[in-house]
Amino acid sequence: MQGFRGCHNPVVSGGMVKHRSDSSAPRMLDRPRRRDIALTAGLCILVLAVLALAGEVSPGVFFAGAAATAALAFVYYLTALSAAEPAKRIGETARVRDVDGEACETMLDRLPIPVLMIGAGGRIERANPAARAFLGLGAERGLLSTVLRQPRVLEAVSAALRGEKGAVVEYSTMAPLESHVRAFVEPIRLSTPGPMPFRAMLVLADDTSSKRAERMRADFLANASHELRTPLASLAGFIETLSGPARDDPEAQERFLEIMRVQTERMRRLIDDLLSLSRVEMNEHLPPAGEVDLNAVIRDVREALAPVLGPRDISLELRPEEEAAIVVGDRDQIYEVVENLVENAAKYSADGASICLCVHYGHTRDAAEHLPERIDPESGRLTLSAPALDSDARYGVVRVRDSGQGIERRFLPRLSERFFRVDGQKSGPTSGTGLGLAIVKHIVSRHRGGFTVESAPGKGSVFSVFFPVSRKARVSPPSSSAAQEASTQPVAH
Amino acid sequence: MTTPIRAPHIVKAFSEELERLAADVAAMGGLAESLVSDALEAAATRDGDLAAEVMARDVQVDDMQRDIEKKIIRLLALRQPIAQDLRVCIAALKIVADLERVGDLAKSIARRVPTLNESDPTPFAASVDRMGKLVLGHLHQVLDAYATGQARQAVGVWERDDDVDEHYNALFRELIGAMTEDPAMIGPGAHLLFIAKNLERIGDHATNIAEVVHYLVTGREIASERPRGPRPEAP
Repeated sequence: MQGFRGCHNPVVSGGMVKHRSDSSAPRMLDRPRRRDIALTAGLCILVLAVLALAGEVSPGVFFAGAAATAALAFVYYLTALSAAEPAKRIGETARVRDVDGEACETMLDRLPIPVLMIGAGGRIERANPAARAFLGLGAERGLLSTVLRQPRVLEAVSAALRGEKGAVVEYSTMAPLESHVRAFVEPIRLSTPGPMPFRAMLVLADDTSSKRAERMRADFLANASHELRTPLASLAGFIETLSGPARDDPEAQERFLEIMRVQTERMRRLIDDLLSLSRVEMNEHLPPAGEVDLNAVIRDVREALAPVLGPRDISLELRPEEEAAIVVGDRDQIYEVVENLVENAAKYSADGASICLCVHYGHTRDAAEHLPERIDPESGRLTLSAPALDSDARYGVVRVRDSGQGIERRFLPRLSERFFRVDGQKSGPTSGTGLGLAIVKHIVSRHRGGFTVESAPGKGSVFSVFFPVSRKARVSPPSSSAAQEASTQPVAH
Repeated sequence: MTTPIRAPHIVKAFSEELERLAADVAAMGGLAESLVSDALEAAATRDGDLAAEVMARDVQVDDMQRDIEKKIIRLLALRQPIAQDLRVCIAALKIVADLERVGDLAKSIARRVPTLNESDPTPFAASVDRMGKLVLGHLHQVLDAYATGQARQAVGVWERDDDVDEHYNALFRELIGAMTEDPAMIGPGAHLLFIAKNLERIGDHATNIAEVVHYLVTGREIASERPRGPRPEAP
């Protein structure tokens, strides 16, 4: 019994690649066993001696018993020696392989591609850090189907666990964030004994960029050709008129040329916005890394828009947060968001109106989404874009409030749609391209932030955008080392 | 089962069974989710083949429900779970019922795709798609909350169901408007209305699941009344 247990242990530990065996390891395992045998035999003989001295057993029985025990111990000792031999050899080979194994381990850890090994029953046996980050795995060895609910991947994995051929499976999730992933599933046969020799290797490749690029190109062409046709058609009409009936009418020429100038200006803006939109959309799945102070952004926006708002006598009231409102983001993009929202508010406001720009900091998601009180009991509220729910996240908020004409409730869901303009905003030199809010939405979604609207016809609208607070800022009174640690952490996912 | 000392392997087998049950429910959730997402994609891209595939795959969801229910009944009969363990079983039982309905609703969306393909594309496809993404996001997050046991995230989804209602309401009005203006819109419009209604129902099932997740984690019902968005049927 002893010998059996003893010879089993080293084999198992030697078989595991992870086991770090220095040269003393096999002997260390061997020693207590030999000592056990000696001890047991010694005790036996001692008991027999005591019994013999007490006169319970005759000296003949004592000698026979002692001899038998000694012989038994010797036989066990021999078995132990021979059983320890193969274990030693495995220990040595494992040591050689360990150098390789360690290198492989390090490579796997550094690999930016998620790699997992799935064991019997769909349990995750190993996952490299990239996989842990990608699937949001904790430290525990969970079941794959709880973290990756894709039915076709799960099917392929269980097929691989049965030893069937590997497969490449593509899957995509559309919400809350779009992603396209290709999953490579491959069976691995391990040499461990047991009824389940197969493991499944699962490698996940993020395909979102290329899929997006593909679709973006098609979308861009479709959008551009559709929206540019209208101004082009009118230009063509005017050129025809100018070269025909209006050839000798300087007054008409003057008027037509002015209209043509407005139309070309509109086309230029449209193309600018379309380019900007597709740039933003292309990078939407790559979260930004910089830091931005929202207070500075609203000040910059006021300065930049002063020449536009001044002539219309629209005042821009700023209510910055007292402390710095640092959020994770790309400064230019957040600036673009706020600028778009203010321009939008100005467009729907009468001359001489006032627009309020305020910043809040450290709000929870619920507080960030809407004002604590409705601007009107009948107002409609809608979240146009939202990050994944996370009760620990804190946000920096910018609200743009106007007291313009407001938006009817039924139009709210369509606000961030491309080329959507609320009726009556279709034409005129100041008319928008219908892309402003779409750009806002995509930028916000790239920042893992949110974008909401509240509006009541006749009362005005409030547009809110919120961006995640940087983790560094979240560490309250930071000791220098804590701050450093926080800065090395990956930013909000 | 009243023996004071339970042999460790029995407990281990039991907790493994419970873990596997939760994993099965999550996998079924993934299946239901993929049905909804494929049905929406079929509607958006006017893909009749994908729609047919969705209709065929709904059987899998039904099978899984039956399978999981059998497992739960077996668990209840053999292990007689109490407290948290009992809640895990009951929650799974309720969630699979909701997921089965979600599968049916996805199938019903897919069934309308071939008919919609017979008429010209409408400008409302984008609105339906947007509403679909929202509902899909809710379903995804609530299933995430189930897998990770985060009751607050589930409550977050539950509170935001009025966004779905707001979308539904807006779409309803838009479609009614378009149908009164142009009789040619009546055919596709009616089907789009049903699709929107189905999506709204899927959103409701997601909130049901959110309630169950909250119960599973905390042992209590969500206290307040669910926020309700506007209802187009009752102006």
